[in-house]
Amino acid sequence: MANHILKPFISEPKLTVACPPYWHCNKTVATIMRDFLLALIPAAVLASAQFGFAAARVMALAGAIAVLTEALCLKIIARDVSVDDYSALLTGLLFAFLLSPSAPWWLVTIGSCLSVLLGRIFFGGLGGSPLCAPLVAWAVCKISWPRAMDLDLSMLNSEWVYPLGQLKYLGPEVVAHFNHINLLLGKQLGGLGSAQIMGIVLGGLYLIMRKHIRPHIPLAFLAGMYITALIYFLIDPTQYAGPIFHLLAGSAVYGAFFLATDFASSPVGHIPMILFGLTGGILSIIIRVYSVHPDGVPFAILLANLLTPLLDRIRPQPFGGQATGSIQSQLKIGNGGSVEKN
Amino acid sequence: MKKMSVLGAISSDLRRYPNFRLGAEADIPIQDIPVPEELHVPLDGHVPVIARGQKVTEGTEIAAHPALQKGTLHAPAAGKVLQVTDTHISLKTDGETVQTPTIDRPDIAQHEDSFLELRKLGIDIGGLGGSEFLILNGLNPEPGISVCDQLLRDHLDTVERGFLILQKLISPSETILAVSQENKVCLTGTQIKHIKSFYPGSLAPLLVKNIWGRKNLQNVSVVGVLQLYAIGRVIKTRQPATETIMTIGRGNYRVKIGTPVRSILRHVEQPVNTGDRVILGGPFQGRAVYSLDQGVDKNTYGLFVVPKGSYPPVKDTNCLNCGECVLHCPARIMPNMIGRCVEFNLFEKASRYGISACFECGLCGYYCPVRRPLLQYIRLAKKELAVSEQTANSEIRYDLGD
Repeated sequence: MANHILKPFISEPKLTVACPPYWHCNKTVATIMRDFLLALIPAAVLASAQFGFAAARVMALAGAIAVLTEALCLKIIARDVSVDDYSALLTGLLFAFLLSPSAPWWLVTIGSCLSVLLGRIFFGGLGGSPLCAPLVAWAVCKISWPRAMDLDLSMLNSEWVYPLGQLKYLGPEVVAHFNHINLLLGKQLGGLGSAQIMGIVLGGLYLIMRKHIRPHIPLAFLAGMYITALIYFLIDPTQYAGPIFHLLAGSAVYGAFFLATDFASSPVGHIPMILFGLTGGILSIIIRVYSVHPDGVPFAILLANLLTPLLDRIRPQPFGGQATGSIQSQLKIGNGGSVEKN
Repeated sequence: MKKMSVLGAISSDLRRYPNFRLGAEADIPIQDIPVPEELHVPLDGHVPVIARGQKVTEGTEIAAHPALQKGTLHAPAAGKVLQVTDTHISLKTDGETVQTPTIDRPDIAQHEDSFLELRKLGIDIGGLGGSEFLILNGLNPEPGISVCDQLLRDHLDTVERGFLILQKLISPSETILAVSQENKVCLTGTQIKHIKSFYPGSLAPLLVKNIWGRKNLQNVSVVGVLQLYAIGRVIKTRQPATETIMTIGRGNYRVKIGTPVRSILRHVEQPVNTGDRVILGGPFQGRAVYSLDQGVDKNTYGLFVVPKGSYPPVKDTNCLNCGECVLHCPARIMPNMIGRCVEFNLFEKASRYGISACFECGLCGYYCPVRRPLLQYIRLAKKELAVSEQTANSEIRYDLGD
């Protein structure tokens, strides 16, 4: 074993040189995205169990179109076709989770295509998007084809109803007797994946446990929603629905765990993340109360995304304060203080 | 990339610091690595004082440094000078054990120019100015390095000797010995402070903050156990410092400076292949050698090999904006933004994101999922900023002179 170090010059091993650190946490885009996909599985399985082949069809189509669009675009702009990092697939699936199980094929195709094109490629690909990519496509579709995107209208033959639609059009007394356990178990209409509250929470907890997302944004988002809804509810219980109903209906939990936490469009510091989550949560309820759209969560997250650059300016003072000289020159360090040795 | 079972990955994630432990439970005695036939003593701005072909004995002065902080270099072994270049002095050892007469100076602290004496004996005196507070850093500097714990375990008398000299020279009002929680060492004249032994807690700025809870670093000296040992050893053996104590693989070794990486790896039977990285120092702050002929210097405390393909390759890809570097940065700066600025040569802008606070722990690069060379960007920015500052200063001086 030791012998080959002694071999003549010709077979001298050519070493790689690099800047430290020489260890790495071994987390790459591919492993992170794989974990995100794993986290979507519970909700995807529950949705397929509930809506059968229709739901699976929407998810498969959206995922495939997203990957194809990304590959084609990267090819056109002459970049490495890095669709094997699963990030485009994830974007497509996140979009599919917001759709109705009966969404027509052209809607799924256009939306999935837009989520990659408008959401990601136009802004420089993965990591560059200032807005949550699936939500951009969702907003475009919602405004352009409101009838096709309407969750109640597209699922008329279903035994369940869209709770937020009921709230918007029929008033809080109708939803007051909604069973919260049923909502939690996904016995409601909504986005095909986003309505599967149990599965979404399970996936979200997995992501937090694997440290791909921090708990700050989801918890602050849900807290913001809860508090705002509670305030409205306390003002007039006959006019506004209760806070628990708001958390369990529509895409609140899904938005908190999967959409608001999108890497590129959310802030990075501890305090900015909490403020971002609170803003999103508060806006969600305000939009739900005053807007013509039943569910305010997607719009609220898009609006909060716009605040991200501002929120990122809130950051702690660097170590050692704003002193002039570098930290290394301030301190007298002997050998073993392990600071750069020049 | 290493495949990990999901369960294994989860359990390693649940531990707060995956593999950053600094404490070494195992007792790994320090062994000697024999002096090889050829030595390549690296020069770091030192000026050689010997010529090619000259015969030297062990302890002969071979190079001195123009700056006051850096110690003189001495021949680690007797032999003939093979080559003198800008980067190193090569010696062919002849196995003779004739040594220069030992330094006859019973109490170096009584001497007038004690610091200069230490410098002449090969000690880097850069960090040893007079200070009110003295911290002795007994933590292993980086994960995977266990020399400091081992020196405190086996050679406490030498370390103490170094400390006594330093105490006389610096005369601090307060001395604190920072050691890992597991360490039961005690040293008279110092206050023991147990520190959670996880990287980057061993770094000097964080140590100061951990001990006093303040970030004002004026009037504090931080001296590592390795240097205390070196000073103690110089005093004890009355020989100039020509060796370093380092962790190699899982073992601890005493190595003559200038010993080529090749001979060390051969001695510990560690194979190296094309594409591997051979690192002198620790995994977060060390430097990769470019040739196996490179010799170790006085400040080297570790040597290890990172086999090819152990980690995803470093790439110049887009920032993912995940914020891991910002959240893990102990200096609380924004490596993500600094990296972006540096890519477009916007060094002034980069300095606004707190570049001067960086103490180069290397955690940003460790956590970056797209493997951007963040520490390299920061170092580049620091260097460019220093250069532009220098030229700005010289221009002002020129104006005044006119």
